[in-house]
Amino acid sequence: MSLVWKLLRSHVSVPQLTGFFFANLFGMFIVLLGFQFYRDVLPVFTAQDSFMRSDYLILSKKVGTAAALSGRTHSFDGAERDDVARQSFAGKVGKFTSTEYKVDANMGIAGHSVLSSELFFESVPDDFIDIPLKDWHYEEGSKEIPIILPRTYINMYNFGFAQTHSLPKISDGLVGMIDFRIFIQGNGHNDLYSGRVVGLSNRLTTILVPQSFMDWSNAYYAPDAHSDPTRLLLEVSNPADESIAKYIDAKGYEVESDKLQAEKTTYFLRMIVSLVMAVGLVISALSFYILMLSIYLLVQKNSAKLENLLLIGYTPARVAMPYQMLAAVLNIIVLLLTLILIYVVRGYYMDMIVAVFPQLESATLLPAILAGLLLLVIVTVLNVLIIRNKVMKIWYGK
Amino acid sequence: METIEFHSVLPQVFAGRGDIVSDVWRKDVSFDKGRLYLVEAESGKGKSTFCSYIMGYRHDYSGDVLMDGKNVRDIGIKEWTGIRRNNISYLFQELRLFPELTAFENVEIKNRLTGFKTRSDIERWFDMLGIADKMNTRVGQMSFGQQQRVAMMRALVQPFDFILADEPVSHLDEGNSAIMGDIMMTEARAQGAGVIVTSIGKHMALDYEKVYRL
Repeated sequence: MSLVWKLLRSHVSVPQLTGFFFANLFGMFIVLLGFQFYRDVLPVFTAQDSFMRSDYLILSKKVGTAAALSGRTHSFDGAERDDVARQSFAGKVGKFTSTEYKVDANMGIAGHSVLSSELFFESVPDDFIDIPLKDWHYEEGSKEIPIILPRTYINMYNFGFAQTHSLPKISDGLVGMIDFRIFIQGNGHNDLYSGRVVGLSNRLTTILVPQSFMDWSNAYYAPDAHSDPTRLLLEVSNPADESIAKYIDAKGYEVESDKLQAEKTTYFLRMIVSLVMAVGLVISALSFYILMLSIYLLVQKNSAKLENLLLIGYTPARVAMPYQMLAAVLNIIVLLLTLILIYVVRGYYMDMIVAVFPQLESATLLPAILAGLLLLVIVTVLNVLIIRNKVMKIWYGK
Repeated sequence: METIEFHSVLPQVFAGRGDIVSDVWRKDVSFDKGRLYLVEAESGKGKSTFCSYIMGYRHDYSGDVLMDGKNVRDIGIKEWTGIRRNNISYLFQELRLFPELTAFENVEIKNRLTGFKTRSDIERWFDMLGIADKMNTRVGQMSFGQQQRVAMMRALVQPFDFILADEPVSHLDEGNSAIMGDIMMTEARAQGAGVIVTSIGKHMALDYEKVYRL
């Protein structure tokens, strides 16, 4: 044991340090658990499509009884599209194109047919889709079509079908397992295609295919048909812009509102977690205060010894080190214990969350570890500086 | 380090007092390496103050203290630490030992900084000073005279150009005083160092080359 430590440890108050230890443990635990929980749960509400930026709005016309009876169309004609594009808040405007021919599809997983139905495809311009072009491209004549499925299909399968048939659940990484067979009829042609699922979408409730396939197939299977789009895709720089809401109201349009709900929920989640974390931070700050007071007292009681060490040639840095190490070691032990506690507690709530949202499985303890390390570094650097400052005061005889 | 100079130095506590008669205060005085000085003073004339200016832990004076021509006010922390380890050794009047450490540990805590002496060197000193049996006794349990000898050993476990001994033998008998003087001078001569001894009357019997009255 170093003689310096042997000297300076006298007056170390175990009860004070124990008080600090538990207060800090408690505070740190609340802060980190709040943060970890927030990061774990947030994706449930904000799950964004990896292939679609979130600042797009999907516009449609209200479908009301009057409109239905009067036979008024709820599609957007060219003039209306141009009008939207002219608005100051509007960036890119894209339209949804639908298939004009008959499509039958059969979705199977691991050899089991899960869904078989007549349906339709839609497409949006490629520059709204953020998938490498080589994956989101249809070569004319090819029998394979890239598609994006609504996540609800997979949820339906995961919770309804896989469970009762003892089949594996599908997560984002396993979409390649989906076997999608497509039969198309029209204009005297009758063809079989296979669909390659490249992604799942939370926001779109439709099956997307590349624009190139849509243009080609509509011309090939239904050359004479044409209909206006019923939904528009609109890029806005600021989704909270008031003029957007006003314009939409005035025109009688609607914006698909799931996003709004999610935003409200996220807002409240964030508020609650912030509150909890704030309480934790206050406890941590108080525990920091206890530690600093305890070390102040220690330095004060040992100030004669510290001064003597300085006078016989010890540097302020060497003299401050034992106390700095004491603070750092305590902080590190607290962090490690906190992380172990969080690991245990998280095990309980993650079991529940993952049971409901299997796609969240990949989440890790990393947010708590990083936040903990950040706090550790900040607090320890502060401890080190304050102790150093205290020793310097002794050097200068203040 | 070759010289320590005092130029018109006057402690602030003496400022405004016209009756100061001193060989050091308000005078130009130079201490050279390799020579032996005695600084005599009555109580309250600023003996320990004089030492603290040389050791750099008090600066409450007017005038200048120079080390090799450099004003000590311009010396930084790192340099002071170096000086205290390698250039100037100081035997404190109030000893400044650590009562919870043993006699040997009190010497060793300095020796670990400098690595200047071996354990057997230190044991020999303990033997010469007649406190070999106290090596592992806590300093807090030793008499002041015994502690003075421990403090002397601690002052000697470092290289130095000057050694500053503030009333080193105030509580020692003639015999021990002579032994301590002998050990100190042997070390100082081996290093070619200057020696500055202060005293309020009783002092080591040495061949002082210059005596100043504070």
